[in-house]
Amino acid sequence: MSAGDKWLDRSAGPVVRPYALTGGRTAPAGGEVLDLIAVVVATRQVTGGRDGLSPEHRRILRLCQRPVTVADVASDTALPVGVVRVLLSDLTQEGWITVLPQRPADEQPSADLLKEVLHGLRAL
Amino acid sequence: MGSAPSDGAAQSPLAAFKILIAGGFGAGKTTLVGAVSEVRPLHTEEALTSASVGHDDLRGVGSKTTTTVAMDFGRITISGQVVLYLFGTPGQERFWFMWDELSYGALGAVVLADTRRLGDCFPSVDYFERRQVPFVVAINCFDDAARYDPEDVRVALDLGPRVPMLLCDARQRGSAKEVLITLVEHVLASRPHEGPGAVVPA
Repeated sequence: MSAGDKWLDRSAGPVVRPYALTGGRTAPAGGEVLDLIAVVVATRQVTGGRDGLSPEHRRILRLCQRPVTVADVASDTALPVGVVRVLLSDLTQEGWITVLPQRPADEQPSADLLKEVLHGLRAL
Repeated sequence: MGSAPSDGAAQSPLAAFKILIAGGFGAGKTTLVGAVSEVRPLHTEEALTSASVGHDDLRGVGSKTTTTVAMDFGRITISGQVVLYLFGTPGQERFWFMWDELSYGALGAVVLADTRRLGDCFPSVDYFERRQVPFVVAINCFDDAARYDPEDVRVALDLGPRVPMLLCDARQRGSAKEVLITLVEHVLASRPHEGPGAVVPA
């Protein structure tokens, strides 16, 4: 590790101010704030073409090739949740990804699903 | 989500559940998340509000309007389709607004209690009672803390008889696991037999 890299590890935080990645935008383009465990999935593959995507958009899109949660995207990219929400919203608006329907917050999960969770926890 | 009827989507459904881990500063939230789940880095940039004045030293930062908050975050993969996410609730009062988002749609919550500072978990208990989020109280047994009968703690916390309460050692995986199992059993038992949408008293 050179002297120049010394302060630039993960725990030092981002080198670029977080919202620089969103062009200064702090609110998602669609206005909808995604829940931390909302599930998103890509609707098409990342191409190499001139698609107007930033490197961060591409990184996120690659993670979304299978269904992932907003929290997982933020964790895997080491980007702040707020930034990830803005970038995910860009991708949704442009039709790259879709947000899978969530169970309404006031609706309880099915007993079968809860039993599956219990079973899984006991097996840990 | 996971229980929704399949409408022919090619992707397998992913059922993601949020469990909140609350309690006072030093009650063992980070320890518990680490003992039972795959800990992952997660941070968020939060707007500095007037509530931050007096907490954050803003001298010399000019127009800084956001602050980074690292969150306790862990993931438990139940199966390919079912994942539990543990979120430690930020302890400082100035981050209370984040609780609303965290608790929205949460499966339930664990309130970690430290008997040396029982009062520290009052705000969490109040919060989940008010929000009708099902919760359990786990008394983290610190080595140097006196042991109390859980029922005495129940009285001290003014908890109803339906709120499960158990002793735990947040450092031990098996014990942390038992806490989560107790919570999910409580959620399951509180579930109305008929249809969704009914309110479950905490």
